[in-house]
Amino acid sequence: MTRDIAAVALGLAVAALALSEALGLPIGTLRSPGQGFFPLWLGVLLLALSLVLLAQTLRARAAARPRDDSRIGQVVGLVAALAVYTAVLEAIGYPIATFFLVLYMVKITHPQRWPLALGISLLAAGGSYLLFAVWLKVPLPPGSWRS
Amino acid sequence: MEILSLLGSGFAIALTPENLFYCFVGSLVGTAIGVLPGLGPPATIALLLPVTYGIPATSAVILLAGIFYGAMYGGSTTSILLNIPGEAASVVTCLAAVGSFIAGTIGVLGLMLLAPPLASFALKFGAPENAALLILGLLMVGYLGGASMTKGLMMAAVGLLLGSVGLDPIQGTPRFTYGVFKLSEGFDFVLVAMGLFGIGEVLANVEQKEEPEVITTKIGGLLATREEWKAAAAPMARGSLLGFIIGVLPGGGAIISSFVSYALEKRFSRHPERFGKGAIEGVAAPEAANNGAASSSFIPLLTLGIPGNASIALIFAALLIHGIRPGPLLVAQQPQLFWGLIASMYIGNVMLLVLNLPLIRVWVRLLQVPYGLLAPFIVVFVLVGAYSVNNSAFDVGVAVAFGVIGYGLRKLDFEPAPLVLAMILGPQLEASVRRALIFSRGDVFIFFERPIAAVLMALAVLMLLSPLARWALSRKFWEIVGPVRAEK
Repeated sequence: MTRDIAAVALGLAVAALALSEALGLPIGTLRSPGQGFFPLWLGVLLLALSLVLLAQTLRARAAARPRDDSRIGQVVGLVAALAVYTAVLEAIGYPIATFFLVLYMVKITHPQRWPLALGISLLAAGGSYLLFAVWLKVPLPPGSWRS
Repeated sequence: MEILSLLGSGFAIALTPENLFYCFVGSLVGTAIGVLPGLGPPATIALLLPVTYGIPATSAVILLAGIFYGAMYGGSTTSILLNIPGEAASVVTCLAAVGSFIAGTIGVLGLMLLAPPLASFALKFGAPENAALLILGLLMVGYLGGASMTKGLMMAAVGLLLGSVGLDPIQGTPRFTYGVFKLSEGFDFVLVAMGLFGIGEVLANVEQKEEPEVITTKIGGLLATREEWKAAAAPMARGSLLGFIIGVLPGGGAIISSFVSYALEKRFSRHPERFGKGAIEGVAAPEAANNGAASSSFIPLLTLGIPGNASIALIFAALLIHGIRPGPLLVAQQPQLFWGLIASMYIGNVMLLVLNLPLIRVWVRLLQVPYGLLAPFIVVFVLVGAYSVNNSAFDVGVAVAFGVIGYGLRKLDFEPAPLVLAMILGPQLEASVRRALIFSRGDVFIFFERPIAAVLMALAVLMLLSPLARWALSRKFWEIVGPVRAEK
C-alpha cells in the first residue's frame, strides 16, 4: 500500500515535470504537431495512469507485504562507494579505484575473510585491467598522478 | 527451392571460424549466466555490447543471440537442480536439455519460414500503420510484462518521455537537453540498460539476506528410460508450440511462456498432484516453451523492427550501432545477416545440447559460488562497459545513476523492461504519429480508416478494455501458477 502510494507520487511527479517542460516548447496543431506535442500527450497519459493506479490502490487495500529494510544501509553504502568511485576514477586511475571498490564490496557489503577479500580485489582489479586495458585496448584511465 | 539455397548461404556465413567462435562464446556465456543467479540475460547483453562495436554486425548479432537463447538452457538447469531433490534431477535435466533443443530448433524453423513473408507484408506499412503497430506493441508489453498493467503502462510512458530527450525526430532540433551537450543525442540506451539491469540488480540483491542455496543433488546417470521419454514427448511438443506463439507477442517472452505452459499442463493433467514434485511433464513442457519463445521472439524484431523484450531490445540497439535499422527491409537488404543468424541459431542449439549434457557437473559447481563473490565482478564489468561506450567517466556516473533509479523502481514494484523498450521505440513512434497527422492534415481518424491500421488499433482498444476480463482470469491463473513462483 505505501509502496503503491509512493509509486503514484512518483508517476504524478514525472507527469508534472513532463507537462511543465512540454508546455515550454511549441506544441503546434494537429495539422502540424510541434516539438512539445508528443511529450505533452505523454504527460497527460502518465497523469491519467497515475490516477488509475491511485484508484486501484485505494480500492484494493491489499495486505501490506512484510518489508525487509534491514540491509538498506548496505545499499546506501554501496551507492555512496560507487559515487566516490566515479568521482575519483580519472584522478587516481582505474586499477587502484577498482581495487578499493571491490575491497569495499567483499569486506563491507558481503563480508569475507581478509585473505579471500584481498585476493578477490586484486584479481578483479588487476585481471580486468589486463583483460580490458591491455588485451582489448579499452583506454581505461591509468590515473593522472602517473603522468 | 529458394529457401534452401538461402539457408545454405546462411550456413556458409555461420560456419566461418570467426562466427562459429562467436556462436560458441555466446552459447557458453549464455549458459553460464543462465545458471548463475543474480545476472539476467539483458544485463549480460548490455555488458557485452561494447565488445561488439569492433566486430561485423552479423557476428555481433550471432554472439548476442547466443547469449539470449543460451541463458534459457542454463536457467533450466538451475531451476531443476534447486527444485527437484535427489537422483531424479539429473535425468530430468537431461530431458529438459533435449526438450530445449527440440523446441529451440522448431522455433528457428518457424522463424525461418514465417519471417520473410511477414516482412514483405510489413513493407506495405506507412506511417499510420507503423504508429498503430507500435502503440499495440507497447500496450502488450505493459499488459503481459508484469503483475500490474497500470504500472507497466506507466513505465512505458516514462520510457517514451526519456526517449524524447535529445533531437526532435522530425525537425532535428534539440529539446530537454538543459544545455548539457552530451544530452543532445539523448540518453545513451546502452548506459541506461547497463544501469537499470546490471547495477540495479546488484543493488536489489545486496538488500536480500544471503541465504546460500544448498545443492544436495548428486549427479547420477543422465539417460532417461524409454518410459520417461514417452512421458516427456507430448508435453515437449505442446510446450514448443505454445512457447513459439507466446514468444512472438511483444512482452510475451520466455518467462511468461514457461508459466503459462506449466499452468496448462497442470490444469489438463490426470495427476495434477504430482506437479511440483518432479513430474516430467511439469518440467519438459515449460522448459521447451521458454526455448521456443526465445527463438520466436526474433520474429517481431527482424520483420517489424519491434523488440518484444529487454534482451531483444539490446540486440536491436546493437544493430542500430552498426548502422542497421531492423524492420521489414532487413530480410531483403541484409540477407547475410538474416540467414547467417538463422543458421547460427541451428548450430547454437546443437552446441548447447552438447554443452549442457556432459558439462552439468561444471554448472553445478558454478551454482555453488556465493553471490558475494560474484557481485564485484558484475559491478566491474558494468563500470568498464559503461566507461568504454565513449571512454568517459561521466558515462560511468550515468550508468550508476540509472542503477539507483532501477533499484528504486524495483522497490516500488515497477518492471524496468517496458521502460527500456519504450525508450528505444519512442523516437520511431513519435515520428510515425507526427508524419501521419501531417499527411492527413490533422485528421486523427487516419489511424482508424486504413484497413491494417484499423485492425491494429481495434486490437489495442480491445486490450485496453480487457483488464476486467484479465482480472477475472488472472486470479484463477495465478492460483495454479502460484506454487511455481514460490518454488522459484
